[in-house]
Amino acid sequence: MTDATVAPKRRLGSTWLILPGVVWMALFMIVPIAMIVYVSFWTQTTFNISSTPTLTSWKQFFASDTYIGALWTTIRIWLIVLTATFAIGYPTALFVGLFVKSKTLSTVLLVICVIPFWTSFLIRVLAWRPMLGKEGVINIILLKLHIISQPIEVLLFTELSVIIGMTQIYCVFMVGPIAFMLGRIDRNIIEAARDLGAGFGRIFWKIIFPLSLPGVVVGAIFVSVMVLGEFATSGALSGRKVNLLGNIIVTQVGSLKWAMASVSGVILTVVMGMVIAAFLRIVDLKQEL
Amino acid sequence: MAEKNRGGPQNLRSTVTGRMTTETAIFRIDGVSKSYGGVKALDSVTLEAGVNEYVSLLGPSGSGKTTLLRVIAGFEVPDGGRVVFQGRDITGLPAHERGIGFVFQNFALFPHLTVKKNVAFGMMNGGVTVSASEIDQRCQAMIDMVGLSGLEDRGVEQISGGQRQRVALARTLVMQPKLVLLDEPLGALDANLRGRMRNELRAIRERMGVTFLHVTGSETEALTMGDSVVVLDRGRIIQAGTPGDVYSAPASPAVAHFLNRFNLFDGTLTAGKFTGPFGTVTSPHAVRAPQDAYAIRYDRVNVRPLNATVSGPALKATYIASEYLGSSVMNFFETSDGKVVEVEHHLSLGAPEIYEARQDYMLTWNPEQAIVFGREAN
Repeated sequence: MTDATVAPKRRLGSTWLILPGVVWMALFMIVPIAMIVYVSFWTQTTFNISSTPTLTSWKQFFASDTYIGALWTTIRIWLIVLTATFAIGYPTALFVGLFVKSKTLSTVLLVICVIPFWTSFLIRVLAWRPMLGKEGVINIILLKLHIISQPIEVLLFTELSVIIGMTQIYCVFMVGPIAFMLGRIDRNIIEAARDLGAGFGRIFWKIIFPLSLPGVVVGAIFVSVMVLGEFATSGALSGRKVNLLGNIIVTQVGSLKWAMASVSGVILTVVMGMVIAAFLRIVDLKQEL
Repeated sequence: MAEKNRGGPQNLRSTVTGRMTTETAIFRIDGVSKSYGGVKALDSVTLEAGVNEYVSLLGPSGSGKTTLLRVIAGFEVPDGGRVVFQGRDITGLPAHERGIGFVFQNFALFPHLTVKKNVAFGMMNGGVTVSASEIDQRCQAMIDMVGLSGLEDRGVEQISGGQRQRVALARTLVMQPKLVLLDEPLGALDANLRGRMRNELRAIRERMGVTFLHVTGSETEALTMGDSVVVLDRGRIIQAGTPGDVYSAPASPAVAHFLNRFNLFDGTLTAGKFTGPFGTVTSPHAVRAPQDAYAIRYDRVNVRPLNATVSGPALKATYIASEYLGSSVMNFFETSDGKVVEVEHHLSLGAPEIYEARQDYMLTWNPEQAIVFGREAN
């Protein structure tokens, strides 16, 4: 009898714990997203915007080569950066999380990976300019070593410089989760596989990689969400030549084209949602974490 | 046994079953040493085991027993010495080419694979190609043998501790190794299950005809399971023999201590007489050991009233408490210098006597049944 009266009360009490989170999410996620979707159907004239519903902005987006092109550029750069961060990040994580025996050393190495974050994001992006420029560090070194006779111009203000910059900035978000998962693998499991006759290749593909997959998925989600929403790196390192959806939104907002900016925003959000959903299908994170 | 210790560890031949030939030995390690940062984990250990034998390796934690297994398995490279398996020197061979089974204390199952895939792992990923039908058939036979039929497609996280132990065993045995190393395989199980798995381990081993080298910190496990017992202390083998030998004739005070069946007293042995807290006792059959000590088994000690006249050893002690062990009662006494003496009373010998707490009693025993260790013994 007492149990029956006490239990529901306590459950009600613990339900309140979620309230701040709900309020926060409602104010800063649900309402803004609903707002963006709503505004994307507003009527935009050159100097004015009215809430009369229309599909004009949506039609305009899909009819324009600029906008569709920006969408494809975003997806292309995202895929390239994702692949690059994985290709560089996984071996690094393998070293930090698995091959370094001492926990202290692996923590130190992870902290070293985070050191660039001590400076601001924009500084890190802009720092690539004196590195990659026509008279930048890389060209000077290569010229001095007589490896090249003409400075390489493709390094800066191209898609390549955007990719280099993004890979450097986001790589650590791939390394962290993978190194964490690898660090959790019981060393005895690897020894057991060796004892059963498996060589390193087999052990990697059958044991280590599958067990680190949740880390890869989490890392990929981090990198994807950040790269898909990027505008600063492409703005600073491409010389306005590479336009991502993020840059389109910034430009539209700058010229007060709220409806068009909202359309791009909705499309970007949908793309991100699909990417995250696809990654979550690979691995059941509920079970792994 | 006393003879064996004289020359120091280098000359100690620990042929487990007393054989000096190596023809029937499935593996032999010769003067293997291993140090970690200056601390000797193994100090020139020499050991061999025959075909189809159950060897238990007993030692306290930190005695180097796990290191020894890891050296044999190939997970650690010894600093010196040789490991010979099936007549071949495998000291430098990587673990995955050795064909020696290893059962881990925490089982180390592959958490993302099912029971069946765990068992099949070695056949599917090993150096030798095995046909799919053979993998299937061997897996099934092994799963049946260890009693896991019906659980083939379960994840290894969804089965009980005892079942995991069986998967670990099946996964190793399905590779048909000639030698299986077991690192405290029963350590992670509860007491009830441990008893059952003990019998099962023995039965499975006999059916498979493989040699088991079973490392344990439990003297009961070592004595009940091994055809022979090897006692390891601080990286050295200090005794090797049948469980009966080790139990009834420990080679040194250290062995007697690990067996957890003896009251050990300090004292001095001079001219065939041992002087300890219980008086001076003639001890003609002393065992040579690095320090003088007197050992009497728990169940050999008799409790008398304080005023009783006893001939031979007499030790005044205060009764503290008793512990009921099922088949026997363990009584704890404390001597005047604070040492606890354990007296075991087997219930098959009759109802236990009731002692009064904080009362003094006289403990005595037949000196013939004591084991005396001393530097001057021969």
